Amino acid sequence: MGEVTFVIAALKLVGYGLATIGPGLGIGIACYGCCVGTARQPEVGGRLFTNFIIGAALAEALALIGFVLAFIL
Amino acid sequence: MNALEMLSEEVPHLQASFDPTIVFGGVTQYILWMVICWIITLVLIIAVGRKLTLIPKNKFVNTVEYGYQFVRNDMGEGIIGHGFKKHVPFLATMFFFILISNFVGLIPGCKTPTGTISVTWALATISFVYFNFWGVKAKGGLGYLKSFAPSGLPAVMVPIIWFLELISTCIRWLTLAVRLYGNMFAGHMVLGIFALASSVFLTCGIQALDPLTGVLSLPWFLLLVAMYALETLVAFLQAYVFTVLSAVYVQIATSTH
Repeated sequence: MGEVTFVIAALKLVGYGLATIGPGLGIGIACYGCCVGTARQPEVGGRLFTNFIIGAALAEALALIGFVLAFIL
Repeated sequence: MNALEMLSEEVPHLQASFDPTIVFGGVTQYILWMVICWIITLVLIIAVGRKLTLIPKNKFVNTVEYGYQFVRNDMGEGIIGHGFKKHVPFLATMFFFILISNFVGLIPGCKTPTGTISVTWALATISFVYFNFWGVKAKGGLGYLKSFAPSGLPAVMVPIIWFLELISTCIRWLTLAVRLYGNMFAGHMVLGIFALASSVFLTCGIQALDPLTGVLSLPWFLLLVAMYALETLVAFLQAYVFTVLSAVYVQIATSTH
């Protein structure tokens, strides 16, 4: 019984690790786009940065759901 | 290897130090620090408000005014757009309180109030109630519920999109709270582990007269300093992100398509 509990606890952490892959890639791509856009047109950098933060926050929401599920499941 | 074993023994104590403990009569250390941050914010704003002049001469006043202008122009005018003025007090309150809370936590010996889920949950609830209130005020109760689905969709798609948008609106509550909590808690945990590793390696090196282990403490310390710099950035960024997202939600709730 104790081993089953341990395996479930370990699987939760593995699941959370897997859940961070997607948002990690998403934020990376968003940051890439922001950097490239700012390099080409530095004058819209501020506006791009705000949009980048909003997009990163939305992508990060998925990782946060994984974080919460690892606790409550 | 001895140092690593000692480190793994010490980590649970570090984790336990993050648990809320009662300071006096039902007040945990986080709530105590939240009240302290609240008082700091209040004193700061009142002190600046009294010294306000048309041409700022005081450097301190100028700094705070710059922060207010940042909230007003970048977050208020830049995101909410038309009719942003009535939302600026809310955004500025959120920004300054979270900023001061995050920065107070970086001082050694102080606790960060935003490093516990109950405080961030309360802040997220305030934001959630606020943008829903203004959404209902701008569009009316039924109109606000209808406005979740964007106009111009095929009639078949409307219930599905409406339901998904409803869920995503409710999840904003969760994500606002957990983002701030997760970032601050995890950051402080990493700082704590690096500080612990640095001290444990140094102690082991001195006790066992092993210069190699003692020298290994130096990279840990340098990592700690680097992470501290990163945490300073994160402390500001999380206050910014929380306020920007509150502004975006207010904009989504109040905008008429």
